[in-house]
Formats: sequence, structure tokens, C-alpha cells
Amino acid sequence: MTPRARFVLGRVALTVPTLFAMSVFVFLIIHLVPGDPVRTMLGFRATPENVRTIRASLGLDRPLADQYLSWIGGVFRGDLGEDYISHARLSTLIGQRLPVTLELTLLSMALAIVVGVPLGVLSAAGGRARRLAAHAFTIGGISIPDFWLGTLLVLVFAAKLNWLPPTGWASLARHPFANLRDVTLPVLTLATGEAAYILRTTRASMQETLGRPFVTFLRAKGLPERSIVYPHALRTASLPIVTVAGIQFGVLLGGAIVVEVIFGLPGLGKLIVTSINQRNYPVVQGSVLVVATLFIVVNLATDVAYGWLNPRLGAARE
Amino acid sequence: MTLEASAALPRRRSPARRLAARLGSRETAAGLAILAVLGLVAALAPVISPHSPEAIDANRVLKGLSWSHPFGSDALGRDVLSRVLFAFRSSLLISLGAVALALVGGIPIGVVCGYFGGWVDAILMRPVDMLLALPALLLALSLITVFGPGRLVAMFAIAVIYVPILARVIRSSVLAVRTEAYVEGARARGASHLSTIARHVVPNAIGPALVQASVLCGFALQIEAALSFLGLGVQPPTPSLGLMLFDGYQVLQQAPWADVFPGLAIALTVVAFNLVGDGLRARLDPLGIAR
Repeated sequence: MTPRARFVLGRVALTVPTLFAMSVFVFLIIHLVPGDPVRTMLGFRATPENVRTIRASLGLDRPLADQYLSWIGGVFRGDLGEDYISHARLSTLIGQRLPVTLELTLLSMALAIVVGVPLGVLSAAGGRARRLAAHAFTIGGISIPDFWLGTLLVLVFAAKLNWLPPTGWASLARHPFANLRDVTLPVLTLATGEAAYILRTTRASMQETLGRPFVTFLRAKGLPERSIVYPHALRTASLPIVTVAGIQFGVLLGGAIVVEVIFGLPGLGKLIVTSINQRNYPVVQGSVLVVATLFIVVNLATDVAYGWLNPRLGAARE
Repeated sequence: MTLEASAALPRRRSPARRLAARLGSRETAAGLAILAVLGLVAALAPVISPHSPEAIDANRVLKGLSWSHPFGSDALGRDVLSRVLFAFRSSLLISLGAVALALVGGIPIGVVCGYFGGWVDAILMRPVDMLLALPALLLALSLITVFGPGRLVAMFAIAVIYVPILARVIRSSVLAVRTEAYVEGARARGASHLSTIARHVVPNAIGPALVQASVLCGFALQIEAALSFLGLGVQPPTPSLGLMLFDGYQVLQQAPWADVFPGLAIALTVVAFNLVGDGLRARLDPLGIAR
């Protein structure tokens, strides 16, 4: 087995216990609620009869291990249970909302990379003005709370200029142009802070790389700076960028929750917030499970990409 | 020029310059200055606020900026400046409390794992890594689902997000310190593990954790604001910047000041903590362990 394949398999193997632990945590959410979760869920509707029905339908009257096994068994069959208020299947409910959240996070990440990486590269080589500009953008982008930026964007582009709608959502499949219009402000909101992180990482990594002996060698060989920076230096400098992008994906998933609420997007984040307020524990569990799984898988993909891009991995052992 | 005169030259710098040099940079000094002012403002909120933050005034609903109400007034005619002062005080306390809790929880875990290594490390770091495997805000929301929304739950939830981050940072720096000659020397002299950790390991390994903690203080304010904005953090009538942002968003068109000023307060605080963090990083974290 090549060292790279061994690395990838090792990372995949490490992900399994993480997924298991996460699923136990999510499963326990309803059981950790102080007092009787069913009474808390039902509130004033908690007649003894209702309590008994809901408890039985959620399987809360069975032993804990039993409950976990039947829940996780369902998850593997694609059955996440049911919303106890609307009686909708959770797989349908989440299936409708996941694409919205995914579109939002992926577009934001893409925009952040497209903006952050070139600016980071430019600022790494530049003089004082570029350094200050990069510093100001980084500190500003990181410090401004993303959802507040969202409200400011609504104020400027929707309320004052009337260019874009403040809220609303058209489906990507049916109305691609309307969708693009609706997604612009949310994506700008999420991507700004993200671009700041990517810029900072790119800049630091590029500066470090441009000082390495191999760059000096390429310069001595007479290569123009342009042919050094992108093909050689950026490739070497990309490792930390990949890692940060992976870590930040989780931050984006979190940020998407608030941004969906501000812009009224029918995504998973909005579903989670509504369900917490309704004490609709099964929906919270199902949504958290899906988002957390997504995050763990993305982290795995990041690590694998890191291993793939890193020429030192394996070379040292081979 | 005599030798004495040239040696005296560096001492001619102004006190402010010398302070800046000690702190690392002008940016750090600026960050500390902002934090000092903000801290003072938070502490003195009841004294310096021009009006009661709760005083409702039907004649001043959504009125703009004026001398008596420099930040305008909100949908109930309450003075936005006074509300920002009290909300900032309350949000800052939650953030500092969360980071303090996280330091108390994270440092022992990180130190023990880094110092002893082996199976202790393997067992203790499992749950820590598990917590890192959830997106931060999602983790907070899960805890709020369990315990219900509230100020203390928000603080606790932020602390739970931060414990694994701080534990990881301090573990890495303990790993770097553990093999130093002075640690071996202390052990060779017959010092116990506990005294070695307390006298040699922790003082030399704490730097990156402090850098990380100062940056996290600022972000705690953002998380608290996000949770309260969603209605899942601080509950009214307790003041909070997140709650103010929510109220402000409802009247964004008519009274943007009700949304802008609480947001600015958060952004300014995060900037200050970041500047201080960057300055501390240069001094306390030469290996770049803190993120």
C-alpha cells in the first residue's frame, strides 16, 4: 500500500468513531432535557393521554440502548423519524431544506476563495499600502458580525437602493435567475468574513513560501516573478489554505443558520431555530445529525486533500 | 559625543513610545486603549448613561440622532445610547464569563494531556475532539435545545465551544515545553509532577492559550449576539446587544440607528480583542500555536 493510500484509509477509519460519538450525542439531546421531555414538548397540551401517546410514538418508554439502535437503524435506511407536530417525514422535510443551506454555504465558500486567495497573494508580495489594505480588510471582515453585515446589506441594497429583495426564496431548479437574485445578499453576507480568513491565511502562507530557498533558486534561474508566484509558490502555499477552508466550512454552516433567519430562506438553519422554539426535539435531532455529518465528511475530505497535496507526506517514509 | 551620552539616547523616547515598544506595536497599544475605554464604559454604564435604558417615551418613537439622544431612540422611544451601554455591559460579562469558564475547563485538560501523553492523552482528548467535530453554533444550539434559552445557558454554551479549542492550544504548547532542559532538570532534582507542572510547565506554556483567549473574548460577543438575535440566548428584559440587533432589524427602514450602533459596539470590541491578540501573539506565542 502506498503511504498516501494508507494515510487516506487511516483518516477514514478515524472518522467512524467520531460519527458514532456524534450520533450518540445527538440521540441524547432529548434524554438530557431536565424533567420530562414529553411534558416540556407538549406544554399546556400535556394531558396524561397526550403524554402517553407521544411517549410511545417516540419510543421513549423503551430501554435507552433499544431506542438508540432503532433510531440509528432508521437513519441508515434513510428514515430520520417524524415531526411530531406536522407528522411530516423528517427525511422529506430535511431533504427539501438541505439544498438551500448547501447552496448558500458552497456559493459563499466559492466566492470567499475566489476573492480571498488572489488578494492574499497580491498582498503577500506588495509594499506598505497593500499590507495595510490587507490588514484592514482582514480585521474588518473578521470583526463585523456576519448577521449584522446582513442587516446592513438589506438596509443599503434592498431598503435604500431597491436593487435586491430583502427576503424571499425562489427554487434553483425552477427559477434559476430569481434564485440568483435572492441568494446574492445572503452569500455576500457570509462570504465577506470568510474571504477575510482566506486572505489572511493565503497571505501568511505565501509570505512564508516566497522566502524559501526554492523560490530564491527560481528567481536566480531568471524566471519572471509571475511564473514563480502562481505555478510554484501558490501550489506549495495552498496546504494551510485548504485546512482553513475546511475548518471554516463549519463556521459557514453555523453562520448560515442566522443568515437564513434574517433573509427568510427555507434552509436547515431556519428549521432548526423554529424547531428549538417549538421544542420539536425530533426535528432538531434530525437536522443537527445531518449538518454535523456533513461537517465531519467535509473535514475528512479536507484532510484527504491535504494528504494528497502534501508531497512530503509519504516521501519521508518511502 | 561621549559614551555615556550615546548610551542615554534610547531613553529620550516619550513615555507613550516606550509603552508602545513594550507592548509590541502601535496596533496592540490601540487595541488596549480601546479595550480600556470599553471596559470603563461597561463598568460605569449606570453612571454615564444619559437616560434609563427602560424608560419608554411615546413622543420619541423612532426619533433620529439629537443632542439629548445621540444614538436616536427605538420603537418604544427608549434611548439607544443608554441601551447600548447596558447591553454592552451585559454582553461583555457573558463573554468574559464564558472565556473564564473555558480557561478553567480547558487548561487542566490540555496540560494533563500534553504533559503525561500516552493513554491519559488518548482518553481525555477523545471527547475534546468530539466537540470539535460539531460546528460551533450547532453545538451551542444543541445545548440550548436541552437546557432551554437563557443568559447562563448561553454563557455555558459558549464555554463548551471554547474548552476544546483552548485545551488543544495548551496541549500543543505543553508538548513543546515538556522536552525542555529545565523541565527535565526539575524532575531530576526530585520535584514532583505537580510542582514541575505548576512551576515550570504552565508558566512557560500558558502564553499561546492567553493569546487564544483574548481573541476568543471578542468572538464570544459575536456568538452571544447571534444566539440572542435568534431568540435563543439572553431573554428580555435582560439587555443584550443581540436582542438590540433583533429589535433594530424590525425597524431597519425607519430607524437604522437602532440596528447600526449595537452592531458597531460588537465590531469595535472584536477589533480591539483581535489587535491585542495579535500583539500578544508576537510576544507570547513565537511558535504560532494559537489560531
